[in-house]
Amino acid sequence: MLSFPDLRLDRGRIRRTGRRALPFSLGESIALVCLLLVVIASILGPIVSPYSPIIPSGAQLLPPGSPGHLFGTDNLGLDVLTRVMVGARTSLFAAVVTTACTSTLGLILGTIAGVVGGWLDNILMRITDVFLAFPGPIVAMAISAALGASLSSSIIGIAIVWWPLYARLARGEVRRTATSMHVEAARMSGSRGISLVLRHILPSTLPTVAISASLDIGGVIAVLASLSFIGLGTPAPAPELGLMASMGMQYLLNSWWVPVIPGLVVALLALLCNYTGDGLRGVLRARGV
Amino acid sequence: MAKFLLRRAGSLVVVLLSLSVLVFVLQRIGKADPVRAYLGANAPALAVTQARAKFGLDQPMLVQYWNYLVGLVHGDLGMSYSTRRPVTVELADKVPATLELAVWALFFAIIIAVVLAGVYSLKGPVSGVIRLVFFSLASAPSFLLATLMLLLFFMQLHWFPAVGRIGDPSVNGPTGFYVLDGLLAGNLAYSWDAVQHLVLPALAASIGPGVALARVLADGLSFGMGSNYARTARSLAESERSILFRHALRNASSPALSMFGVLAGSMLSSLVVVEQIFSWNGLGQYLSTAITSADFPAVAGVSLVLGAVYVVLTAMVDIVLALVDPRVKLA
Repeated sequence: MLSFPDLRLDRGRIRRTGRRALPFSLGESIALVCLLLVVIASILGPIVSPYSPIIPSGAQLLPPGSPGHLFGTDNLGLDVLTRVMVGARTSLFAAVVTTACTSTLGLILGTIAGVVGGWLDNILMRITDVFLAFPGPIVAMAISAALGASLSSSIIGIAIVWWPLYARLARGEVRRTATSMHVEAARMSGSRGISLVLRHILPSTLPTVAISASLDIGGVIAVLASLSFIGLGTPAPAPELGLMASMGMQYLLNSWWVPVIPGLVVALLALLCNYTGDGLRGVLRARGV
Repeated sequence: MAKFLLRRAGSLVVVLLSLSVLVFVLQRIGKADPVRAYLGANAPALAVTQARAKFGLDQPMLVQYWNYLVGLVHGDLGMSYSTRRPVTVELADKVPATLELAVWALFFAIIIAVVLAGVYSLKGPVSGVIRLVFFSLASAPSFLLATLMLLLFFMQLHWFPAVGRIGDPSVNGPTGFYVLDGLLAGNLAYSWDAVQHLVLPALAASIGPGVALARVLADGLSFGMGSNYARTARSLAESERSILFRHALRNASSPALSMFGVLAGSMLSSLVVVEQIFSWNGLGQYLSTAITSADFPAVAGVSLVLGAVYVVLTAMVDIVLALVDPRVKLA
């Protein structure tokens, strides 16, 4: 039978906040360190590697652990380790660009809606309502297919679908901040219009939106890889993780590492980002944000 | 309640119309010229002009959209570039395939969510390990999960088949849902075969949404068990089990249900990937083929169908939510 013994006297919740008073838990700190290591490896790796990600450099379908090819080679004789390092770099970079674009767009529109109010606020919020009612990933697929398969059209597709979430968040924060004491005081002392927004409102809405965006990076990595898997990324032989996995599927029976290793790298990147993000959220909760 | 239903139906229509506008605009800004795609790149200029007039592409945009919308209402999704057949005809037998898979995936997701929510409420190292494992699985893209399942359950253990919806397509049933068709035809072996084919793809698509749902459910349950109404119930000597099932679960199901929309969206996109891997002859596989061959009318058709299914589904969830949770109506 299920029971919740530690919650009867709210002991559980007190302990949890007590633990959260530390910035990061042990697991989350490990995740952060691993994430940094992976970032460094994905930047330095391709430079150090003696192989090219797109020029064959050995026998075909060598298993992992072969001399000179730690993760083996694929059906064209390309070094898998070099390709996944380049792929990880592309993945991380694209995910950061996507979330940065999306959240900036959402921040701008949400701030405008919150500050101006009235009919503009109404129209913008009805638009976000409609967008939030769409099945995001499917619409993102349709948009990037219409723009022609490439990494940049995937990024545009995701950005168009996801900005409303950030716009909502930013608008809410702006409205909350606008009634706070310090904004009131700034208004009293004659601050108006854009300078009031930039100097007094934005500094307190920006962190919330930025942190929420950083929490989403892990998810965006997985979505971008899935789009690339179904053929919406850069065409072959680009070293993109989703594409590598989908191209490698036909070798699954005999050479599992060709499709599995790129997928594992996507999972690792997403997991590390999510885990670090969870820590970040915990820190915020502990600070009462 | 009537007012709520009316308002919800109104917003449903608005969203469906916006979806059609979006897909229409995407078709017009798309790189491929529909006439050139239809006639071939070397068609003479006269033929192009005639075809343009025939398809109504020389008319003002608003008229074109109106024609498009009228076509949609009549079930006309346009012609596929690659097969020259109406997209509606091509999709007809693929919709039940995807819906059958989606229903099973949803079923698995709910089981995973309820079981995990139970595990989350326990303490100790085992629970911690299970949480970590599922958190990792939920971060993984669905194509990796599907691949790993193929390796383990098909290639190593030989428990489940890997490809397609059925081994022997002998029953040609009325519904297109193979498990149901087998039952209707009294052919249990057929249904069992269909179930075996369903397990791996449905599981691969359900883990992500299931884990996300479990977290919301567990949060809601632990909040409910520590709330004032639970304390009141305890003071009235109600058992923990009865509080959990009669009060906490009902309160926790409302946030879990309202998250359903987001989950259904992510599940639909996982299905696209999973269908490709398991050669599941549904909308997803059709979509990825259409993407590779730059067949935009087909892409648009699938997006519209999936989009409409999703929008109608979320509207239904909203209505169920209003029935389960009376507070929603006030909002």
